[in-house]
Amino acid sequence: MAPTETTKAKEEPAKTTKPRTLADMADSIDLATFDQILEMDEEGEHDFSQGIVYGFFEQAENTFTQMEIALKETNLGELSSLGHFLKGSSATIGLTKVKDACEKIQHYGAGKDETGNNDEPDLEVTLDKIKKTLETAKRDYKEVEASLREYFGDAAEPASSS
Amino acid sequence: MLEDPSYAEIVRWGDEGDSFVVLECEKFTKTILPKHFKHSNFASFVRQLNKYDFHKVRQNNEENGQSPYGQNAWEFKHPEFRANSKESLDNIRRKAPAPRKPTQAHDDSVPTQQIDLLNQQIVAQQQQIQHLSDRYAQMSVDHQLMLQEVMRVQKTVVNHENVIHQLVNYLVSMDSRQKRDGKSGPFQAQAGSNLSPSQAPPMDDGVSTPLQQASKLLSDMNAEIQFNLVGVDSMGEPPKTGGVVSTPTLETAPRNRVAPPPTAPAANPALVYPKMNGEMEPVVYPVGATNGIDPMYSEHVNNVPYTIPPKQEMDDRRQFHDNRKKSTNVDPGWVRSPRILLVEDDATCRQIGGKFLYSFSCEIDTALDGLEAVNKVQDGSKYDLILMDIIMPNLDGVSACHLIRQFDRTPIIAMTSNIRSDDIQLYFQHGMDDVLPKPFTRKSLLDMLEKHLVHLKVVSQGMEPPQPATPATMAGQSSAAQSVAVKDDGSPSQSPAAAMSAWQSPNQFQTMAVPPNLQQVQGQYVSANPAATAYTMDHNGVQYPAPPAVALGAAGPGTARAQPRRHISDISNGADNPNLAKRQRMYAPPPQAIVGSMQTTRTN
Repeated sequence: MAPTETTKAKEEPAKTTKPRTLADMADSIDLATFDQILEMDEEGEHDFSQGIVYGFFEQAENTFTQMEIALKETNLGELSSLGHFLKGSSATIGLTKVKDACEKIQHYGAGKDETGNNDEPDLEVTLDKIKKTLETAKRDYKEVEASLREYFGDAAEPASSS
Repeated sequence: MLEDPSYAEIVRWGDEGDSFVVLECEKFTKTILPKHFKHSNFASFVRQLNKYDFHKVRQNNEENGQSPYGQNAWEFKHPEFRANSKESLDNIRRKAPAPRKPTQAHDDSVPTQQIDLLNQQIVAQQQQIQHLSDRYAQMSVDHQLMLQEVMRVQKTVVNHENVIHQLVNYLVSMDSRQKRDGKSGPFQAQAGSNLSPSQAPPMDDGVSTPLQQASKLLSDMNAEIQFNLVGVDSMGEPPKTGGVVSTPTLETAPRNRVAPPPTAPAANPALVYPKMNGEMEPVVYPVGATNGIDPMYSEHVNNVPYTIPPKQEMDDRRQFHDNRKKSTNVDPGWVRSPRILLVEDDATCRQIGGKFLYSFSCEIDTALDGLEAVNKVQDGSKYDLILMDIIMPNLDGVSACHLIRQFDRTPIIAMTSNIRSDDIQLYFQHGMDDVLPKPFTRKSLLDMLEKHLVHLKVVSQGMEPPQPATPATMAGQSSAAQSVAVKDDGSPSQSPAAAMSAWQSPNQFQTMAVPPNLQQVQGQYVSANPAATAYTMDHNGVQYPAPPAVALGAAGPGTARAQPRRHISDISNGADNPNLAKRQRMYAPPPQAIVGSMQTTRTN
């Protein structure tokens, strides 16, 4: 399932005009996963994948907002389920970094450590960890969002998320 | 009064005794009337008389010009008013009121009649209203029925559309298959003639036109590919020919030798053709099948001491994959489109999952949470498979599954990233059939579909191909292998027949695949070919896979079962193709259970 030379090579001709290639994003995007979404596109356009990805942007930004609210309210259960939710969709697209961060939030919110295997009894520690992880998640997300927007051709769009 | 003589001057009986005459109006009014009436008004008296039906006798006056009783005399007449007949006076009295009473009665009766009439009318109207309301009720019931009927019709129409859609797809794929049949036909014909010469002639007739088509298609080929093909043909030919030559049916060897050459070029172009047209969805199916076959073929070739051909084959294949890289819709070969219920609250996952399913020619229905899913199943929607997210709002997947299991046995697959063993145990406890770890990939999804929808797979017959083809090629191959060096898989003890039966039993094939029945199989083959049925298609596809299948079978049970999966892998990820070993590793896990069963059958 690991991305192979061939798939990457395949992608490049499709977007020769773009300054960025998917390979540049390989550290934050799982290319194999992302590729199979691109494969669902019709030849020569990205309607489907772009729709998915942009839909995800919206979803992610909403979720981040909700996470911040939940964090203020120290609603750990909500944080955990929000983390789970965003983890699922980010993983489906292959945004590994965002996914990892969301998974941690899910675990923290459940009162565990970041592996989800051990209990974390200290509420303050948990909240602090969530806060930091959420920042990380948002940063990672912004980064990958910019890359993807660039990839899909509207580079000049800074995300409106806070 | 009239008989009183004192009044004779004033009022007396008429001359004929049937009337009375008032001779002196003034005196009558002043003297007599007050005695009998409360008034003294002659006019009132006359009016009374009139009421009692007395009539003034006037005609006489006018006719005669003079009244016999004088100028001022008033003569009144009544049929019953006679002198000396007092008893008849009763008649007069009654007669007077009588006319009035009847009329009064009549007046009274009119209203009552009218009331009756009105009452009747009211009753009638009430009845009418009742009737109308009844009818209204009836109508509304009818309306409901009609609505239901319309809904049902709508459903039917939708179903029909689906059926038509499938039919068209099927026909198109049939068409492409037919073309392929035509190409591989000659080989069939030859094989058939080997075993049952009687079948051969009709076969040849049927094939001639498809062959022409094939050649036509060939001419359309990309030059580069054609070149490769030629290379492959020449390379691939030797082993085949060798194998055929050493076939038990030696007396037909000459014919066989002729056969392979046409077969190789014909079949390979067939493979190429669909790929060139990768954009055409229906055509893709053949591609999938052949792709699955090709790698095995190469593997098989690897087992044969010809080293160069495999490489050529590989290059060829890679090119194919490049060509079809973008072709999105892969028909895994369903008998009909599987109906899948995708239960997923996350829009991103739902969209992608739906798109993948769509690309697998599935009919997709979606539910946003467990509750909706339960409702849909409860409402009678029939699905072949349910893909169920676990963590969802309103009703989670496990609970939804539990509920659905109370009344439905549709396979339910948990889609979740929570795949720790206790989680999974929980899923199974509540009636889930399998777990598809998230994030799922296209391949893992298709694997899951094929695992649980085997009954919908045409490919289940597609696996049949190995058998018929196997005997022929196998015999040749084994002998060839023996003569050359024997396969290097280290299990030469396993006879081809054994490998074949192993293939056969797990797939529940009829015994016809067994070598003794080979002739029969081939016969079927041949007869089916001209008709270009779906089966023949698969058979043809199999022809090539057959040798590889044998090789795989010998190599180990695990790999044997992996074969069908490999089709998928080839379809979905061409990049992995060159690395067969790698791919195998990837696909080994899913089929494990089945492999186990195969192993048991194999040991029999």
